[in-house]
Amino acid sequence: MLEMHKLLIGGLMTAALVSGAQVAQAQNQVNIGAIVPSSGPFAEWGRSNTVTLKMLEKEVNDAGGVNGAKLNIVILDDAAKPAQAANNMRKLAGDDKVLAVAGPLTSSACEVTFPVANELKTVTTSQASSKPGVAKANRPWAFRNTVDEGILAKTSVPYFTKTFGAKQVAIIYDAKDAVSTSIATKIMPGVFTEAGVKVINGDAPISFNTGDLDVSAQVTKLKSMNPDGIVIGADYSQAITVIREMKRQGLMKPVIGGTPLISSAILKAAPEIPVVAPATFYSTMDAPKAKKFVANLQPLLRNTSGLPKEIEPSMYDANIYEIVSMYIDAVKKSGVTGKAENLDADRTKIRDYMANLKGYEGFSGAIHFGEDGDAIKNFFIVQGQNGAWETKVTGCSAAGGGC
Amino acid sequence: MSTYYAGLFADIGILFLGAMSVYIILATGQLSLGNAGFMGIGAYVASFLTVEMQWPLTAALIAAALAAAAIGIVVGFPALRLKGIYLAIATLGFGEMVRSFLLNFDRMGGSGGFHGMKHVSLEYIWLWGGGIFVLIVLLERSRLWLEMRAVHDDETAANLVGLNTTATKVGAFGFGAAVAAVSGGLFAHHHVYIEPGNFGFERSIDFVLAVILGGSTVGAGAVVGAGLLVLLPEWLRFLADWRLAAFGVLLVLVLLTRRQGILDRPLLDKLSLRRARA
Repeated sequence: MLEMHKLLIGGLMTAALVSGAQVAQAQNQVNIGAIVPSSGPFAEWGRSNTVTLKMLEKEVNDAGGVNGAKLNIVILDDAAKPAQAANNMRKLAGDDKVLAVAGPLTSSACEVTFPVANELKTVTTSQASSKPGVAKANRPWAFRNTVDEGILAKTSVPYFTKTFGAKQVAIIYDAKDAVSTSIATKIMPGVFTEAGVKVINGDAPISFNTGDLDVSAQVTKLKSMNPDGIVIGADYSQAITVIREMKRQGLMKPVIGGTPLISSAILKAAPEIPVVAPATFYSTMDAPKAKKFVANLQPLLRNTSGLPKEIEPSMYDANIYEIVSMYIDAVKKSGVTGKAENLDADRTKIRDYMANLKGYEGFSGAIHFGEDGDAIKNFFIVQGQNGAWETKVTGCSAAGGGC
Repeated sequence: MSTYYAGLFADIGILFLGAMSVYIILATGQLSLGNAGFMGIGAYVASFLTVEMQWPLTAALIAAALAAAAIGIVVGFPALRLKGIYLAIATLGFGEMVRSFLLNFDRMGGSGGFHGMKHVSLEYIWLWGGGIFVLIVLLERSRLWLEMRAVHDDETAANLVGLNTTATKVGAFGFGAAVAAVSGGLFAHHHVYIEPGNFGFERSIDFVLAVILGGSTVGAGAVVGAGLLVLLPEWLRFLADWRLAAFGVLLVLVLLTRRQGILDRPLLDKLSLRRARA
């Protein structure tokens, strides 16, 4: 029996060494790290992020690499667990000696990974976290290629109020999720009240928990309030449950929420119910760079086992693509050598490049980063109805306008 | 040691303490599925004391442990009237109750989480881990432990020979809660950020799993269990998307070949004998 265990443990250790050796860089190579949740609750987003990064790696290397060096993206799965994300950051920065890291995806993971990024002095940029103030608390090495939900709501709410003539709205939200809670209980009530709209249940919003399959009681209560519009604080997969139930109970009122609502799946849940949400990218958007990105990525995503056959590139795929592209740009433009002995200096150059970024062309236009580490870029208020998203308003997340 | 392994060993230390909290309660024959709740209490109390009251960490951890022990004893009295699976479900309910409370407790950030703790070193975590391990090894050699085992083996018989089984069980519950709280306090100061989601059902299961995998009859089993639970998913990274599936298969294989867990008394004796002879 003991022999078997020895064999087992020996085998595992060999495997660990082999996998370690695989990432140990060859000389002429530029290493970038990525932390994505390929397993766990956000596996779909994490796996499509992985496909996106592999596509980018191939694109860059086919075009001759970065300053002649081969691009190598080390992708680690954090299973959406904060502790694993923090350890991934340690592995990427400490063992794999990457120049910079893209990720992690969730705000919970960012909260524990960003302090490690500061400790190890390595830039990390999240592709999805939008809980207010997470990058701001971890300057100067943490960035987020996302826009604070509070800024987005200031444009989406007036559009929603005007379009649907809403006089009073009611709130329902996922109490287990930090971003959803902050959108539904802090951001939206404030912005709606400012816009002169009554928030019927602002003091006691209706809640459910991530993973709840039956929200019929909550929706019945919403219906009894007779609102003109519904605020949903939840990511799209949870919001679908609410919207389906709204349709079932005949509560055909327009819905508004934050960026986590954006997905093609939500439009299929109840095509008759209009959904308004902010986005910096959506797969059917009309911009040449975005169209090319979707045309290249979509077939790859649909051919990947473990991903739905009708999947479309998400905003987070676009964001992580932009992040790594920025890093590559930084390597090219700021004299990063990629040599082991210059690692600290190279990382600092990438940080300075990110902090002083000007005129980088992303999918929605130019991107740069504010003092708080969050991206300043164009965003769209989109309305989903009859199965497609359509841009209704274009805004910029800079305080004074102008991106 | 690389910073990566330092991070992993810190996680092992924290999980080991959590596993120990289950082990102590399990020694009296009670299964607790709610120890993440005590861990959460410890994490929040310790963080409140260090951040808001500027207490030194060690004092904060001791206070957190005492607070959790008191709650453990209060909860323990009614809960321990239940046995076996019913107790397991009741403790599970307690764990969820704590998590929901923290979710709505805005004073400590609610679902937004709580910041401001200072990072602790790996050595400090293992100082606590080692200290509590020594304490439990000493306990395992004491008369009290025999009483705990007696309650574990046959509660009625233990009662008949005049042992105070209620005190033993409630005491073990309180001690287990205190150890879980220390684990929580260290967790909070290792990750420098906590949120209620950190202390959910999954965490409680990790504790129980570490004990069952490592060996539920000896304290040292929890070290082995915690080590494997943290390191295996990392070592299996070369399997990419399949790593968690492979991890599950390995767990089943280990438990099929060693029902009592990897470490048990005969194996431990054999290992220490061999060392003695050398």
